[in-house]
Amino acid sequence: MSSVTDVREHELDLASKRVRRERSGSPRLSWRTVQRLKGASFTWPFFAGFALFTLVPVVMALGQSLFTTKSSGLGFGGAQVTFSGFDNFARGLADGVFWESMLRAGSYAVVVVPLTQIVSLMLALLVDAVTRRVAGRFRLSLLVPYMIPGIVATMIWIYLYSPTVGPFQSLFELLHLDINFFAGSMIWVSIGNLHIWGTIGFNMLILNGALQSVPRELFDAARVDGASELRIALSIKVPFVRTSLVLTGLLAIIGTLQIFAEPVLFRSVSPETITKDFTPAMVIYNQAFQVGNLNYAAALSIILAGVVGIASAVIYRFTNKVGS
Amino acid sequence: MRSGNRRALALTAGLTAAALLSGCSTGTATEPQGKPGEPVTIDVWGWDPVQKQVVDAFNMSQDQVKVKYVQQADNVAMQTNFRNVMESKKDVPCLAQGFAPLATSLVNGWAQDITAYVKPIEDKFGAGALSAAKLGDKYYGIPTGASAKFMVVNSKTLKAAGVEAPKTWEELIKTGKALAPSGTKVINLAGEDPSVLLDLAQQAKAEWFKIDGDKWVVNLHSPETLKAADVFQQIVDNGLNSTQTYKDRPALYSYFDSGKLATLPTQWWSLPGLQTNFKTSLGDWQAVPIPQFEGGAGQGAPGRATASIVPVGCKTPDAAVKFVTFALTDPKGIEASRTKDTGTVAVPAALKDVSQYTEAVVPTKLFAQSPKEVGKVIADAQANVIGGFEQGPDYDSWFPQLQDQWGKAVAKQITFKQALVNVEAYIADDLKSKGIAYTIAK
Repeated sequence: MSSVTDVREHELDLASKRVRRERSGSPRLSWRTVQRLKGASFTWPFFAGFALFTLVPVVMALGQSLFTTKSSGLGFGGAQVTFSGFDNFARGLADGVFWESMLRAGSYAVVVVPLTQIVSLMLALLVDAVTRRVAGRFRLSLLVPYMIPGIVATMIWIYLYSPTVGPFQSLFELLHLDINFFAGSMIWVSIGNLHIWGTIGFNMLILNGALQSVPRELFDAARVDGASELRIALSIKVPFVRTSLVLTGLLAIIGTLQIFAEPVLFRSVSPETITKDFTPAMVIYNQAFQVGNLNYAAALSIILAGVVGIASAVIYRFTNKVGS
Repeated sequence: MRSGNRRALALTAGLTAAALLSGCSTGTATEPQGKPGEPVTIDVWGWDPVQKQVVDAFNMSQDQVKVKYVQQADNVAMQTNFRNVMESKKDVPCLAQGFAPLATSLVNGWAQDITAYVKPIEDKFGAGALSAAKLGDKYYGIPTGASAKFMVVNSKTLKAAGVEAPKTWEELIKTGKALAPSGTKVINLAGEDPSVLLDLAQQAKAEWFKIDGDKWVVNLHSPETLKAADVFQQIVDNGLNSTQTYKDRPALYSYFDSGKLATLPTQWWSLPGLQTNFKTSLGDWQAVPIPQFEGGAGQGAPGRATASIVPVGCKTPDAAVKFVTFALTDPKGIEASRTKDTGTVAVPAALKDVSQYTEAVVPTKLFAQSPKEVGKVIADAQANVIGGFEQGPDYDSWFPQLQDQWGKAVAKQITFKQALVNVEAYIADDLKSKGIAYTIAK
């Protein structure tokens, strides 16, 4: 009896598969595969953009980095391009100016990234603690700095920091404080404050979104057990948003190691501190558009991408280990 | 799926067609156009909107050359677009507004030798304009002319300290020392702007770059350059200068207007900005010639032009030179540059004598002098403008290094002499890495 049933089921299954194949219009692909392909087809605009604006430039940069451009005599009448293998990479790996700038940006990231994370998390927790209507207003207003382009934001803060016409100056005078945001010793603080102001809104939004998915019953249960709001935040909410914290942390590290617009504009107000080679991105920009050595700039870009990738992987692995 | 395929095919075909069309050229401006007897058409690139009026006037004035003005958004856009067009070698303009030193344009293979076209009309241009358009004895640039530096001084501030406007740089230091007790600074040295060092080096007749046969001679340690550096060293060592940045304009103007700054080297085109942004010091300022070095009469006024070029690939340089001669020296061309907003024409810096144009550009409320008196100071400066100061084949590369070193020197972290030593070493490294032959002067 059972063998007859098995045979029938097998025949039905085959017939069903035949119908699916016919409906799909393809003699080889199953219905399920076609459905998957259809779903995947929605991602092609992303992959097309990714290929065009990321992969192609990376490949082109790789190509550029393997060549060297040299003139001769007085330099008039064009230059010769010759294949030089990995010479530009070797030069980049031994370039003290480039690695000094990397160290500078890395040290800055060590301070600014955790600070941004802490402030963003605190804001996300506060927004999560208020009513939905109030939270909506705060979310929007905290996001406004993120919407302002970096160059514009830097110009705004250069005005605010101005020791001559800045609005803080009269307050400092009132309190007999001698603070100059443009002084060499204060320049990282000034840039860091601007960076935190510009990024906390986005980070807060991600973390707040993650907090929304925490089951509310857990809070009620904790309250019944006598937990304070602080205890709920630290023991329930924060562990739940750990994954989002890793994400925002990684994005922040990538952003700070590639910091460019802020120091470029602050260079005018503190030129003795912020030199043309202050950050890795500034070294690359200078090589590409001032020195005119696109080959070397391309090699440095790839080295920087490698450093950012390694830093991201290490931090991701470390935070995952701590989490588990 | 079939429908999707068709759409995809149609889209691909459309994109391919668009790409092919965009790649097609409709003819190049480098080729002389038209039949014999018909006008030659040339493209002129620049970012100054007033040039459009000049082009229109030129096209109306004759029928041999027709100019098409290609307006660029700004200097930066001009640089990017120009690099691209020179790279593609298609639709190369016949005249490009200057944005790079002449030697840099030559190193990049952009500027063509136009000596044969400029030589016959040399007498129309001032000596400074001609000097800035030459490399060696050949003209690679249009004698566009440089705006000469003169100085405005706050006469009220100087009077309060009982001192006169300085006539030499040595006097300026003494004036600074006399003003110091009241907290007044004699000059502003923006930490990001070393162009004043170039000005004084130019005035002292220093030659930072010189061609010797088939190599460059680099010299940032000559007695002339060190004389210029010493002026700044004394000013900074004695705390006689302010360090207001040009990036923070409201603060800059507020400081200039406060009466705490005695002198300000400037050019004619800065004057309307000063009047617009000053409130309390209007009527206190006086225009005087730029200081000279003691014992060196007739050194001239600093001013460096970025000459316009006739790019390599333009087949009708004579047409380009014909247009610029009209624009820069013909009274009708100069008149065509009158701006509608201010009703004034720009001082035609290429001319030998600009005295008839200077009075009109003087703002009426800024000075204690009459516009005629200020106009004479501007015209005299323009007549004595030095113009030429060779900046070598890698200016774009070494200038940011000079900015770094200047910033440190102004902040007293290093001396100006050390800054120049560092820049010279940087130039040597840079030229070596580029394969350009050079030697450091003894």
